[in-house]
Amino acid sequence: MRFLAVTLAVARKDIRSELRGRELLPALAQFVVLALIIANFAFDLDLVDGPRLSPGILWLVLVFAGLVSFGRAFAAEKDTGSLEAMLLTPAGAAAIFSGKALSAAAMLVACEAVLLPAMAVFLGSPISPLVVATVLVATVGMAAVGCLFAALAAQTRARELLLPVLALPIWVPFVVVGGRAVQVAMSGQSLAALPLAGQPLLVLADFDILFLVVATLAARYVLDD
Amino acid sequence: MTENNKLFTLSAGAVAAMAVAAWSIFLYAPQDALEGPVQRIFYLHVGSAAAAFGSFALVLAGGVAYLWKERVWGDRLGRAAALVGLVFTTNTFVLGMIWAKPIWNWDPSQTWDARLTSTAVLWVIYAGYLLVRRYATPGRPAMRLAAVVGIVGFADVPIVYFSVQWWRTLHPGPVLVAPGGPQLPAEMVVAAFVTTAAVLYLAGVLIAIRYRIEARRDEREERAVAAQLELSGSSAR
Repeated sequence: MRFLAVTLAVARKDIRSELRGRELLPALAQFVVLALIIANFAFDLDLVDGPRLSPGILWLVLVFAGLVSFGRAFAAEKDTGSLEAMLLTPAGAAAIFSGKALSAAAMLVACEAVLLPAMAVFLGSPISPLVVATVLVATVGMAAVGCLFAALAAQTRARELLLPVLALPIWVPFVVVGGRAVQVAMSGQSLAALPLAGQPLLVLADFDILFLVVATLAARYVLDD
Repeated sequence: MTENNKLFTLSAGAVAAMAVAAWSIFLYAPQDALEGPVQRIFYLHVGSAAAAFGSFALVLAGGVAYLWKERVWGDRLGRAAALVGLVFTTNTFVLGMIWAKPIWNWDPSQTWDARLTSTAVLWVIYAGYLLVRRYATPGRPAMRLAAVVGIVGFADVPIVYFSVQWWRTLHPGPVLVAPGGPQLPAEMVVAAFVTTAAVLYLAGVLIAIRYRIEARRDEREERAVAAQLELSGSSAR
């Protein structure tokens, strides 16, 4: 119970400071829109190519927006020295980490709330409930690992460089399974034909549980000096 | 000097073992009826892959030993094994490419199967592991952070493998460890096991040499720190 209380308190602190300062979200939303503009001209999209390439563009933009969002989560704390202050309190490192991951995931969800409608408008991507569900379920696990490596990279000299190098390979399973699910959903096929064990949403939920456990266990070693 | 002599002896043994492996590959094993001489790449390819996975398992073990019991030898083992593992992963890739050129004819749809993708991810993760060591504050922080990367990275590889396999896969299935016994002529199986054993031994020797280098480097750094302390101590007086 205490763990949950600390987690929620840390997440609430982050979200409140974001709502007051508006440091990250406007820039992230702008980044997402710019990425779609570049995708449009780089791929020379039309009615045929737009929906066909949409799953790839979706995951590319999502992954890079995630890197920016998770990188900021710990960089800001490190710059002001407030991470050390939080670790001095009786709250456990794992609970603090969970709170940071929760708020970073909330930022990325806000970012997705811009990305998905923008894709529907600019690229004509068919955004179905299955696409939304896939992206949301994948966000949980990606946030867990992303924040773990963001906390790790924040303690090194080259954090902007190190975070993508560490997080991207670990995110590959999410992109493989989530990418497949979005491809199926956007092409209008149904997932009902797949066996239960192959349902992408269930597989992604498995990844979420696994990476949440791993990241929370490892957080103690990453945050404690 | 005795430790260096031991390493020289071990290295000589590795050279001899690799010579035996070369004999079993080129002279003992029969020619493949379909693929011809190209098939002989298979022996070293499988051996290198086994050595790479073995090295990364040692990185995992070293990381656990460090995080759990704060054993510095665990960290040193991780450093040595990660580097050797990267070399053998690269070797596996290069040999696989040479084999795939005539057999798969560079079809990009065939290069993203489960084993290739997970091996590529493995390579990137351990390259990241070495990068963490370079960019983190030297000493305990670097050891702690690298151990976390080594452990989480190792856990990721089977997941990548199965998530791509769930999709589709084109890499030849297991031919040595298959239900109903190996699907190869007995001479080929013998050559494969001889080569794998030789390459594993070679990897072990390389890790031992690298471990020795890392241990000497740690000693030198400790001496430098001690000298610095002495210097600042005498100037304070």
